[in-house]
Amino acid sequence: MRIKKILSMTLLVTIMLTFAACGGKNTADRTVKDNNSGSNDKLVVAIWDKNQLNGLEEIIDGFTKETGIEADIQVTPWDQYWTMLEAGATGGQLPDVFWMHSNEIAKYAEYEMLLDLTDRINSSDKIDLSKYPKDIVDLYNWNNEKQYAVPKDIDTIALWYNKTMFDEAGLAYPNEDWTWDDFKEAAKKLTKSDGSQYGYALNPGNNQDGWYNMIYSMGGAVISDDKKTSKMDDTNTIKAIEFAASFIKEGYSPNYEVLSENSVDSLFKSGKIAMVILGSWMVNDFMSNDYVKTNADVALLPKDAFTGRRISLYNGLGWAASANTKNPDNAWKLIEYLCSKEGQQKQADLGVTMSAYEGTSDNWKNLYPEVNLQAYLDMKENIVIRPYSKSTVIWENYATEKLVDVWRGIITAEEACKSIASRMNELLKQE
Amino acid sequence: MKKLFASKAEKNEFISGWLFILPTVVGLVVLNIIPLIKTIYESFFKTGAFGKGNVFIGLDNYRRLFTDEEVWQALINTFKYAIIEVPLSIIIAMFIAVLLNKKVKGRTVYRTIYFLPMVAAPAAVAMVWRWLYNNEFGLLNYIRRVVGQNPVNWISDPKIAIIFLALVGVWSVIGYNMILFLAGLQEIPKDYYEAATIDGAGNIRKFFNITLPLISPTMFFVVVTRIIAALQMFDVIYMMIDKSNPALKKTQSLVYLFYKHSFIQSEKGYGAAIVMLLLVVILLITALQMYAQKKWVHYE
Repeated sequence: MRIKKILSMTLLVTIMLTFAACGGKNTADRTVKDNNSGSNDKLVVAIWDKNQLNGLEEIIDGFTKETGIEADIQVTPWDQYWTMLEAGATGGQLPDVFWMHSNEIAKYAEYEMLLDLTDRINSSDKIDLSKYPKDIVDLYNWNNEKQYAVPKDIDTIALWYNKTMFDEAGLAYPNEDWTWDDFKEAAKKLTKSDGSQYGYALNPGNNQDGWYNMIYSMGGAVISDDKKTSKMDDTNTIKAIEFAASFIKEGYSPNYEVLSENSVDSLFKSGKIAMVILGSWMVNDFMSNDYVKTNADVALLPKDAFTGRRISLYNGLGWAASANTKNPDNAWKLIEYLCSKEGQQKQADLGVTMSAYEGTSDNWKNLYPEVNLQAYLDMKENIVIRPYSKSTVIWENYATEKLVDVWRGIITAEEACKSIASRMNELLKQE
Repeated sequence: MKKLFASKAEKNEFISGWLFILPTVVGLVVLNIIPLIKTIYESFFKTGAFGKGNVFIGLDNYRRLFTDEEVWQALINTFKYAIIEVPLSIIIAMFIAVLLNKKVKGRTVYRTIYFLPMVAAPAAVAMVWRWLYNNEFGLLNYIRRVVGQNPVNWISDPKIAIIFLALVGVWSVIGYNMILFLAGLQEIPKDYYEAATIDGAGNIRKFFNITLPLISPTMFFVVVTRIIAALQMFDVIYMMIDKSNPALKKTQSLVYLFYKHSFIQSEKGYGAAIVMLLLVVILLITALQMYAQKKWVHYE
């Protein structure tokens, strides 16, 4: 009986302590939020990529040393980031400074949730919009009137390949003369009949680091330049989708079910795939993996034999501020610092990402000298901005889901592309 | 003038009664009733972002709903899920509860073990099962390969994915049902069993003629609540099935569609309409059950 009493008392105390700890943390968070009603309080900064956290924290430390303003970075994974942001926006409690993306800028700009930075940029001597890629500046510009975010970075796409597998098969490494046909040939030679190794794996969940590059280099497009019509039913686009689907069809890629359950980067890391096409945002993640570090290298994307074009899709994030932040001046100072030449240089030097400010990114590749990150920098010569419009998320989701049936071999590329084009046109008309 | 309350005591009792239930009532109104009304209201609008810019479009969302193949397939998926999860989890839980009702050694330990899945967060449960089911690296396929069998696409084969999702649901809910059944079993007076033994009844006879009828009120409660919960299934599907999973169309539930339209695609009006459909379905099924109650539930 006594044992039971002691046991239950211990359990009770443990439970209470756990609750107190959780509860305590919550109250601490709440006091930080409540404290945002002054002007020398910490700025709340929101991002979604934990791979960039350390570098950004270091840059912000430099900012705090210079200005005395403190800032706290909160990481929310991509899947929940926008839900979090929207909930905050609806409730009037957005973070002070946060990342903006081409998928969502239209929504936030139209409903005036962002701080208008136009005047502050014009009167700033650190920010000169002509120093950033025009596409990215335009991305965050609303109706040619208001600039709602300052470009933070750019990303490009390149080809990762497994050197060991190439050596084993006696193949020469990818070089700048490679065409998509060479690429396919190599994938064929690198596929083992016992299913333990495949040449290439297409990422079915992401368009920017997959079929978009094939589409544009083959002369097709996703959306017209004026964003009023869909180009998904263009013959070259259909050709590119057929090409992308052929790897699974002809067996040089794992079957679709495997791709749907396992990300291509995890398949590459576990030595099941010889080549993958991935964006520069994956570099930090890849290089922290020992297998990739010792066995892989990076090359330029193949070009199209017919058009001679080599294209990488690119995108860039922007730093934005909340329209009703309690510290607009401090928020702007932080954005100014992060996007100034010094801030952007630091970002690249620390290997966080390629910076948007021209001429600052070369040092980014030095973080990992073992691999040829220069390829990502070289791809900057031939870039197309990632397609977007006001309703990007809706038609992109529709396209991704429709293309699943092409990867599975259930419908033809032509059928899918025509269906996607018609849905896109419907949505674009409503914009 | 007629007095409302007979005495001061009666008045006090009235007030304190309301005070006692005030927290629950406030919670119910703020967290359930008001959102319900707001959802019904929003289903008639094309909603803008951030709660602004709503455009009244009458029954358009509902018209779209009726012609949307995805929604009807989702309804079928939701039913499939419920049909597998509810009966299985109830039968297994009932069986275990009967066994653990006897004076078995260490039965409190067993009861705790069976209840543990309920304690684990649904997201964590889904993540672990997702890895067990993974077709390349998962434990289940690994075992199959070891014994020389081909791997199975447990959750990416459209034909069978819903079954294995439902099994995860069964696993996690057995503990909850078991506890309820145990409580119900302990209400049954032992005399009935003794009398039956004297009359020479075997265990199976006792189960079907004593246990089942007398536990039918508990069973009724469990069946009704489990069906409602199964029809509202979301997190297992959301966590285990990606957008690019070929089985998506055959596994997405109505609540999953609601989430997709409301929070990913910002079409809250349409999402609200979808949820209204679910509400009507659940109301109908529950009403049917209430009616059927008279036929099979044995109240003392």
